[in-house]
Amino acid sequence: MKFLNNLKNAFKFIFYSTRYSIHYTLTRVLVIGALLCLGRPANAQPQQLTVWAMGAEGKLIRQAAEIFEKRNPGVKIVTQAIPWTGAHEKLVTAVVGDMAPDISQMGTTWMPEFRAMNALQPLNEFLAASKLDAGDFFPGARDSNLYRDQWYGLPWYVDTRVMFYRADMAERAGYKKFPGNWEEFYKFSKALISSKKGGYAFALPTNDWQIFLMFYWQNGGELLKGSPLTAGKFEETIAYLKRFFDEKLVPLEGGHDTDLLTAFESGYFPVFISGPWMISQLETSKPQLNGNWTTAPLPAGKKRASFMGGCNFVMFKSSPRKALAWKFMEFMAGPEMQAKWYAISGDLPASIKAWSAPSLSKNPKLASFRKELDTAKAPPQAPEWENIAGTINDAVEEAVFGRITAQAAREKLSTRIEKILAKSERQQSTAFKIGLSLLLFMLPICAVILYLRKGPRAVAGGKAQPIASLFLLPAVLILAIFLFIPIIASFIASMTNWNMYGVNDWSKIVFVGLENYAGLFGDPVFLAGLRNTLVFAFMGVPISVALSLAMALALNAQILRAKAFFRVAYFIPVITTMVAVAIIWRWLYNPEFGLFNLALGHLGISPQSWLSNRWLALPSLILMAVWKGFGYNTIIFVAALQSIPDSLYESIALDGANTRQEFWYITLPMLRNTAFFVIVMTTIGYLQFFAEPYIMTGGGPLNSTMSVVLYMYQQGFKFYNLGYASAMAYILFGLIFAFTTLQFRVQKKLEGTF
Amino acid sequence: MKQKNNSKSMKAGRVSVTYKIAFYAFMVVSVVITLFPFVWMLSTSFKSPGEIFTKQPTILPQLWTLSGYKNLFAAVNMWLHLCNSVIYAVSVTALSVLLNAMAAYAFAKLRFPGREKLFALLLVTMMVPGQVTMLPVFLILKSMGLLNSYAGLVLPGSAAVFAIFMIRQFMMEIPEEILEAARIDGFSEFAIFWRIMLPLCRPIIATLTVFSFIGAWNDFLWPLIIMLREDKYTLPVALASINGQYNTDWGLLMAGAVVVVLPAVFIFLLAQKHYIKGIAAGAVKG
Repeated sequence: MKFLNNLKNAFKFIFYSTRYSIHYTLTRVLVIGALLCLGRPANAQPQQLTVWAMGAEGKLIRQAAEIFEKRNPGVKIVTQAIPWTGAHEKLVTAVVGDMAPDISQMGTTWMPEFRAMNALQPLNEFLAASKLDAGDFFPGARDSNLYRDQWYGLPWYVDTRVMFYRADMAERAGYKKFPGNWEEFYKFSKALISSKKGGYAFALPTNDWQIFLMFYWQNGGELLKGSPLTAGKFEETIAYLKRFFDEKLVPLEGGHDTDLLTAFESGYFPVFISGPWMISQLETSKPQLNGNWTTAPLPAGKKRASFMGGCNFVMFKSSPRKALAWKFMEFMAGPEMQAKWYAISGDLPASIKAWSAPSLSKNPKLASFRKELDTAKAPPQAPEWENIAGTINDAVEEAVFGRITAQAAREKLSTRIEKILAKSERQQSTAFKIGLSLLLFMLPICAVILYLRKGPRAVAGGKAQPIASLFLLPAVLILAIFLFIPIIASFIASMTNWNMYGVNDWSKIVFVGLENYAGLFGDPVFLAGLRNTLVFAFMGVPISVALSLAMALALNAQILRAKAFFRVAYFIPVITTMVAVAIIWRWLYNPEFGLFNLALGHLGISPQSWLSNRWLALPSLILMAVWKGFGYNTIIFVAALQSIPDSLYESIALDGANTRQEFWYITLPMLRNTAFFVIVMTTIGYLQFFAEPYIMTGGGPLNSTMSVVLYMYQQGFKFYNLGYASAMAYILFGLIFAFTTLQFRVQKKLEGTF
Repeated sequence: MKQKNNSKSMKAGRVSVTYKIAFYAFMVVSVVITLFPFVWMLSTSFKSPGEIFTKQPTILPQLWTLSGYKNLFAAVNMWLHLCNSVIYAVSVTALSVLLNAMAAYAFAKLRFPGREKLFALLLVTMMVPGQVTMLPVFLILKSMGLLNSYAGLVLPGSAAVFAIFMIRQFMMEIPEEILEAARIDGFSEFAIFWRIMLPLCRPIIATLTVFSFIGAWNDFLWPLIIMLREDKYTLPVALASINGQYNTDWGLLMAGAVVVVLPAVFIFLLAQKHYIKGIAAGAVKG
């Protein structure tokens, strides 16, 4: 490997040096030419700065970059828009692959992870030499950048949560002003619900840790300060919220399945908590509501506290242009540019001074946000935060559903948080680690070679054809490099504690043997995922395969005209992007006005919460997955049906066979190879169930739709427990292997009967 | 050929009118169910923001607007990303069809020691969820210096076990006599593969073409993490990068979904023409 690297470097050197010399000469010729022509020195190569920003900000940042470029001649800012979906993966692979930009936008809750990866540049020395006033940021915005008195980023923009409410409906309930504290808010909710028909008082999702935290903080609760949670405060908060659920002021199920904007319009949810982005969203998509709604600060508990969100700018350690990078960060964080950025994007400034601009201070819609910003809190700066947040969701859900008491929920949650935070102090020598890795790498390879060489060398049915190796070589080579080796690597990873600390620094990775595997069988979320995955496969595979075969036979029917149209129609669900599919299925499953509940209503059955009832959610996802995927197998069957010679049907028809006999004696036997392929592939596919729960339910409610692969993805790419995630993959692999072997055995048996 | 027509008319004659009506009713209902979201997507792309999320959505927009498409074309350099997507999808598809069909031919019709075992080994690799190999593949490409290159984008997806498996199953149905006859006529194995096997496998090759193309065409995560510059983004990546964290312009998003889906539908329309009955059967008869 080392030798190969040297060789590669040598090539690179030769390549670049020749290219460089050509480039150099060319540049000189050009420069001299330019000098001669214009009579003044041409600019040197401009200094380039790469800046990544996500989504809408990624496009708009160009405008800020242009201002900076104008003020700093000779600097060129290359901006790149990163999609929010996939931003996490993009950033972490960039860090691993040494492809990180100079500067990137970073969500406030992601800061600790990338700091733990040792990817972020500490900024205190830059800040000390700068005119930037570090005291000018809102406390919540400052906190997400500070760790142990060291700055790791600068705030870019903030958002916080306030109440959005229907002023007209509140007035009908006798309230001209929004209630200011917890007790009044409860009374207000009661008044609201008795003044209207149907629906609820308030949208309170059971699976949103941010909303729970705001109430918890307002009640004086603390997180990860000494103990994971404050005893008593947690229970009080749950008790307060549970009253809303128990008295049907908020729905226990289906609250987050409905479309919030439409529910707001119909009065189903006259009150909800959301951020600044909702203002423009409501104004553009529900213009008919304008004037009937407004915002208010959250009702205070023992104190005020909202959730501080938003984004920071960070500088990567790998940046070779740190001084210039700092200059740009400083420019974006200063009050002048912060106010300008609000004008460009509508994002709220993190700088307090920037708020004195009239466009902000005089805007009545922003007043509630401004009030909350002073006391809004950022979640704790623990690198494991994303993982902890997920466990908070679980605990709150279990407690409000009444499955366990609030105290039991707190104790269970504390234990889980402590387990997540527990760090292994184990050390292993580098030689030991490299040796063990090599051994673990060679073992499977030797096993494979032995397996392939074992047994008789003779070939059944005649002489061996050496030419076969030429046919195999390209595909097998690619599979060896991009499939076999990665599989072995991830198998080795499954026996290590590879997590975010080891992402960028491999010396922190330690072998833990089978600890990950043992841990998985004590992990309730994984066990739930395993159970759901099995249910999903047992229900989904037979339905999907039978439906595909039936549809393929229908498409192949002699009497069918316009075959191309019907083929396309059945294949359309496969092609249509998941985003569009998810929106429409959400609408079909909508508990308030969805098509399924409409149909049930005609039959006199009460409406169901398809996606948030823990018995219905999984079957609902199976239905959707079958719909989305059956066309895939259908066209495989259609292709296979073309190879059955008509002569077979003709001869059996002469014997007086009917259609059913044709199917059993000709079609099915002739499809056996294809059917076998389809069954094996569909089983593998359904055991790796991922997209539907990922997009539709996130694994909830109460983990009833959590699948193994979804949990693996969350552990691997959200929490960066890569070792743990790999172990999951290999348990699933064992399961799939067992099923497939069984299928091959059955096929061998059946082979004899045909 | 004549004989086939006869058999068709003979069969069609057997079918009663009620059966025909029931059959078509079934087909129409199933098509409505499968096409519904597509039609909805198409119509939403022409709706104004106020009309998109309502209690009673209409099938056709009440007020037709092109603003979704206009915003889309203003927000991204459509032709550039379309070109990137075409390059990616076409090269993956071409390589995938060729390499996988070659390997499948060896597994289905050629004799070599360890054939069944090697095949079983390939099948086993398919059982490992792809998500765990993503990071190792990325690191391997890094060590090969292929990050941020088309080779790095295309190569890992150009051989696929499922494709080899699918074509092999199809090839196994093709009678051995055809190949033997060709060998006696002095055809080389490559000539047999290229001039006899591939044409006989047209339906399944068409299917694989569609699968590979659509897989690459809709692929999001891989092109995103491999490509380092925005001007190398494929269409789905470019479209996804327009959305805000919380704000989504649904009209634009649906317009984008339509633009992405149409080429895929077109490819499928082209491919499904190759589902022709009796290629193999005709060949046996000579």
